[in-house]
Amino acid sequence: MARSLWTGTLSFGLVNVPVALVSAVRDVDFHFHQIHEKDAAPIEVQRFCSEEDVEVPWEEITHAYELKDGGQVIVSDLELQAIEPRRTRTIDIEQFVDLADVDPIYFDHPYFLVPAAEDDGSIRAYRLLTEVMSQTDRAALGRFVMRAKEYMAIVRHREGALTLTTMRFADEVRATKDVDAATQKSHKPTKKQLDAAVAVIEELSCEWEPEKFKDRYRARLKRVVDRKRKGETIKVPEAAQTPSPAPDLMAALEQTLEQLQKGESARWSQQREREAEPAT
Amino acid sequence: MLRSIWNGTITFGLTVVPIKVHSATEDHGVHFHQVHAKDGARIKQRRVCSEEGKEVPYKEVAKGYEVRSGEYVLLSQDEINAAAGEQSHLIEIEEFVCAAEIDPVHYDHGYYLGAGDDGQDAYRLLHDALAKAERVGIGRWVFHNREYLVAVRALDDALALHTMRFADELVAADDLDLPTPSRAPSKREVQMAGQLVDSLHNDFKPQAFEDGYRERVQQLIEAKSRGEEPELPEDAEPAGGMDLEAALEASLSGSRS
Repeated sequence: MARSLWTGTLSFGLVNVPVALVSAVRDVDFHFHQIHEKDAAPIEVQRFCSEEDVEVPWEEITHAYELKDGGQVIVSDLELQAIEPRRTRTIDIEQFVDLADVDPIYFDHPYFLVPAAEDDGSIRAYRLLTEVMSQTDRAALGRFVMRAKEYMAIVRHREGALTLTTMRFADEVRATKDVDAATQKSHKPTKKQLDAAVAVIEELSCEWEPEKFKDRYRARLKRVVDRKRKGETIKVPEAAQTPSPAPDLMAALEQTLEQLQKGESARWSQQREREAEPAT
Repeated sequence: MLRSIWNGTITFGLTVVPIKVHSATEDHGVHFHQVHAKDGARIKQRRVCSEEGKEVPYKEVAKGYEVRSGEYVLLSQDEINAAAGEQSHLIEIEEFVCAAEIDPVHYDHGYYLGAGDDGQDAYRLLHDALAKAERVGIGRWVFHNREYLVAVRALDDALALHTMRFADELVAADDLDLPTPSRAPSKREVQMAGQLVDSLHNDFKPQAFEDGYRERVQQLIEAKSRGEEPELPEDAEPAGGMDLEAALEASLSGSRS
């Protein structure tokens, strides 16, 4: 099983469920090391004092906060630990919310919570909380501290287990009203345009099957590594052209619908490319 | 207005929507520099060759993929970038799915989309049609030399874009080997827990949660800049192992009082 990143207690009223936190995401990325090209030796990062020009061991390094006037305040690890909240080993459920009310823009890193005690009461309490949340489609909000940082977290049911997702604080999420979303009346689509666009969306709709999508970047990177290993040279592809906006939205929608009915959707990228090219 | 980090085009069918990408989040964390405790001088990082023991200038550094212990395949940044895919500044929506079908665990980083030059009508059309159909568009996006799976959805009056985690990056609950209790929670326990959930139910108000730790770090910095010494608090821990039904009853009587 996955390594636990945190162990503690999920507190729900006076019910305490000992839990361990494991990541719900596995790292499948390619990782590269920094290598000295000349002799193929790995690069080491050394920490030097900018004043004395000598290497500094870890235990002599501390944190400094830069003040506006250019001065600095030195803060030690101990002092930072001292201001962590009192109950650092607890996820206190403060409230329950309807899951549908929480926009995913707040979601940060996903984890699973797994029971961390062997006694039957604790395991049953875990099961109970999972069951109650799945029946009501509600999620729990609470806070906890991990690695010297306080997180707001949402605990919900997923595939028969409890998942915890760390959340962004409200002031870390920008307001959508600051986006230029072309909300002026003059840009509002006509009913005919909207109906045609909805029809295109419905024609192109299917079930969400996440397994269908593969990470093509990872696959290509693997091929690049494999080819390079065999001593081949790699060419960087040239940038493709960007299509220019269609002047007549309605015509584009109607043509799309027509082609969808004929099953010709595969030609779109070529057709857009042709249209984007200057006339000869 | 927000600064844009990418300009390009979204297409669905033959409709072309010029857009700008903005980050949806901003970092308010308190950041520290590493300093030498002895003299308060800034720590500088140096790249040193493990073979020669000498500092290496950045242009002599290559990326190495370890194929066997200590054996690396060397790649230049350009060669790694070749895996990114077509740098076309185009997000082609391949299909649409019901918003409610996507488990939020797939959503990774969030961005907002603004209308691009001469694209206001098309932007509004895509937004309103997604909102009306309650669908999310799925496509691919090449950003910072990497191809992402992305979801485009209507959020308030704007369009939001999320990079998506691939299915093979996610741990399945089946992999967790969860223990099963010797008996399932009783009807009474489920009922009491349901009441407790109801009593703690409220609307989601993200503003109600503030980053208390960030505030305390700022207070600590202010106190120290005035030359004050901080105090050390103590830990308290609740006990594990319990009588589930008794705890539920006690919680309910507590929440009613």
